[in-house]
Amino acid sequence: MSLNLPRLMLLTLSLFASSTSLADITIHDSEGEKTFSKVPERVVVLNWDLIEQVLELDVTPLGGPNIEGYNTWVAQPHASEQVADIGTRAEPNLEKVAALKPDVIIAASPQKDLLDSFSEIAPVVLLENYQGDYDAGEQAIANFRTLAKLFKKEALAEAKLEQLHSDLASLKQQLEQSFGQELPSVLPARFGSETTVFLYTENSSSDWVLKQLGLKNALPLSPTLWGTKQMRIDQLKDLTDAYFLYILPFNEEAKLKKSFLWQAMPFVRAKHYNSVAPVWSFGGAMSLRYTAEAYTKSLLEIAQ
Amino acid sequence: MNVKHFPIWGAGSGFALLIILLTVFGSPLSIDHQWSLLQGTQAPESFDDFSFLFGHLPRIAMALIVGATLGLVGSLMQQLTQNPLTSPLTLGSSSGAWLALIIMNVWFAQYVNDYGDLAAMMGAMLAFGLILAIVGLNNMTGLPIVVAGMVVNLLLGAIATGIILLNEQFAQNIFMWGAGDLAQNGWDTFTSLVPQLLIGLPILFFAPRALSLLRLGKEGASARGLSVLPTFFVLMTTGIWLASAIVSSIGVIGFIGLIAPNIARAMGARTARQELVFSMILGAGLLFATDRMAFWLTQYTNDVVTSGVTAALIGAPALVWFSRRQLKAQDNLAFILPTGGRSLSFKALSGIGVSVVTILLLNTFADFSSGSFEWHWLSDYQWQIRQPRLLTAVAAGASLAIAGVLLQRLIYNPLASPDILGVSAGATLALVSTTVLFANATLSNNWLVAALGSIAVLLVLIALARKHQFAPSTLILTGIALTALLDAVIQFCLAKGTQDSYRILLWLAGSTYRVTNAQSLALLASSLLLLSFALISSRWLTLLSVGRAFALARGVPLNLASLIILTLVALLCATTTATMGPIAFIGLIAPHLAIMLGARSTRSQILCAAILGATLLLWADWLGQSLLYPAQIAAGTLVSILGGLYFIALLVIGRFKKP
Repeated sequence: MSLNLPRLMLLTLSLFASSTSLADITIHDSEGEKTFSKVPERVVVLNWDLIEQVLELDVTPLGGPNIEGYNTWVAQPHASEQVADIGTRAEPNLEKVAALKPDVIIAASPQKDLLDSFSEIAPVVLLENYQGDYDAGEQAIANFRTLAKLFKKEALAEAKLEQLHSDLASLKQQLEQSFGQELPSVLPARFGSETTVFLYTENSSSDWVLKQLGLKNALPLSPTLWGTKQMRIDQLKDLTDAYFLYILPFNEEAKLKKSFLWQAMPFVRAKHYNSVAPVWSFGGAMSLRYTAEAYTKSLLEIAQ
Repeated sequence: MNVKHFPIWGAGSGFALLIILLTVFGSPLSIDHQWSLLQGTQAPESFDDFSFLFGHLPRIAMALIVGATLGLVGSLMQQLTQNPLTSPLTLGSSSGAWLALIIMNVWFAQYVNDYGDLAAMMGAMLAFGLILAIVGLNNMTGLPIVVAGMVVNLLLGAIATGIILLNEQFAQNIFMWGAGDLAQNGWDTFTSLVPQLLIGLPILFFAPRALSLLRLGKEGASARGLSVLPTFFVLMTTGIWLASAIVSSIGVIGFIGLIAPNIARAMGARTARQELVFSMILGAGLLFATDRMAFWLTQYTNDVVTSGVTAALIGAPALVWFSRRQLKAQDNLAFILPTGGRSLSFKALSGIGVSVVTILLLNTFADFSSGSFEWHWLSDYQWQIRQPRLLTAVAAGASLAIAGVLLQRLIYNPLASPDILGVSAGATLALVSTTVLFANATLSNNWLVAALGSIAVLLVLIALARKHQFAPSTLILTGIALTALLDAVIQFCLAKGTQDSYRILLWLAGSTYRVTNAQSLALLASSLLLLSFALISSRWLTLLSVGRAFALARGVPLNLASLIILTLVALLCATTTATMGPIAFIGLIAPHLAIMLGARSTRSQILCAAILGATLLLWADWLGQSLLYPAQIAAGTLVSILGGLYFIALLVIGRFKKP
């Protein structure tokens, strides 16, 4: 590659301009401090939780992985046809991403080992969602704020976060109206089969939601990498005062409800159980509200 | 009672006692309390009461009846085929059911509840039908059916993995099923399974006579008035039906049907009836014991451990141990390599040339990234992405092909290949196990661990095979045991349902996606080095191909030569597997193709197979990247599918060529 002199001068000038410009954007991602000279416009997102976050900030990405799957599983907010498919989350297509000519690439934990390849296309912002003992709920909000700063949408983000917190507060209030000031302990779970459940650990976004709603987790579990822990249903047998919520879809629901083992559970005998409408448990900041709404709705149904 | 049979009856009553003891102490309730609950004098109240009556007891009943049926079916199949390696596991029933359920969950989720069991059953029967079509009704005895079963297992498994990886969210709710879980919630599954298994009872009464006659050989049996084919067909179908019923209701539990009859024979079961009955008892006892083990492991580790996993952990070594003595050097292989010319013809050479040039051009110029197919000089960045993938495919394909040539020549067997013999599975198992045990270990690029895994397998192979003059059945045994063990470990990881599970599955698919430039260069260098060693050893191999005595007379140090060549094979497999994950079939097919094209001498076969292997993997990698663009299918998955189909074709051709 040869550089002619005017172009070199222009480059130097622009570098000079950007380093002193007040418009510089500095953010902290999972790797440390990163600076952008202008608001990125051509955005490629590599993970579903981040597609959700970016769409919530009214930014439409150029590309994201398995968009059809995103619209089925995460669902809200809907990703339009404008978002190009770039392959799977585990193996996003590097050539396709390069062809979209992004000026920023936003990656999460599953793509952490691919950063070297992606950073040659465009600057990469890494926003890890599950890592060691991160609190997933706090992390989702922090990531939301980081993205807002990157896209200069801080006002919008703060308004949405404020809305989130006031929504959570009103949900909590509704719960208190039904259950009294001393809110019950709750155990949200997802069935793996008729005999196994996945429970959410202390660092999961599910637990963050419980805390915000003033609910106690009936079976606190130490953090795991992905925020879930598989168990046999026998281990639920001592939950005498707890409310048990299981998240749909669960294929064998009817079969489970007929079983004696299920009927012998203390929370079933006390009629302290209900199903929860499907929610995506690995989402961004705004999907925390969907989880909270679904939990509250389910609990209020029990109380009635 | 015949004194000769004492060990069996002794073991049987020992088992019965153990079962009662473990049942009683497996529950937190006191013996008196359990008794009164059973008699009905006390109604169940606490959760533990219900858990005893509707969790503990049905689980034990299930383990016993499923184990007994699997033992019976295994014995029936092994006697029918006169082959100690036949069983539901080796006849494709679990892989067929697994693929059927994956397809149901991904594309027909709304029907899973009502027709899931039916689909699994159909899948199992279809897989068996496929195997039957490959080997033919007349050729069910002996090795071909086992080999065909293994190929069908690999093929269906690869397709299932490919589907899961492209649709990861959808497949999640059947992972527990895949892991073979015996935990019960009530008696429903038991009571719906039992009537389906009742069909097995007549086997005990009617099969022994037919089986005894079959021992005389087909001619002998029909001379004594047995219509061999119909009998065979009816009994085999009954066996497959029973196995399918079990697979569809509780999932994949391997090995029980395979090892129970082998243990029964080792313990002295002589007549057909004895073997059926003892296999049943042993099957029940074995599954009960492994299920208890799974139960305790779940309690102590606080992780959900399923019976399918413990059955495989115990079954794999037990299989190798108990069947090692009975394997004879005989094998009537319907495996005929299509023979080619005496030397590489111009036609063959130009065919290879065109294929190589085409794939290189596609890799250098073809571009889909703008949304349509374009043909132009690649950008620097595109080239930077493609180069490591290209080099990896070339080096890995060549390495595995060379490993195949070395093994086939050393062991005098056209079926000897790193994947069928379990050498690659050894490397894979070592890598996956370290990842599962040490949560933070990364899968790729751990060459040392992979090498230790494949060397360990080769040592076992040598120890086993020497006594039997490298009889193919002895060798394939290890492959079957390891591959099934590997499957169980994978299912265990998947059942945990975390993102790590997908990582492992992704790696197992064998993809060049994550290989870095440095890794690809290292692999290329090591494969070139090992290629030169292989060429140096080609004189030994040529002499060995003629015969061991001949080679010895010509001054080949037999043991040293075998050791060096096998070490080369282990290193070739380990470096490849550690870099891009397991790749099946290349080591089997490339050497065959080389021979068919006329590369007869050792040296030319090594070189020709290396080029063919490299080209094959390059094509697979390119197709995998292009077919579903922008999503990608791993090269290993495509190779398994293409290779599986090729191999099935080869077996079918062999069948019709046979007079």
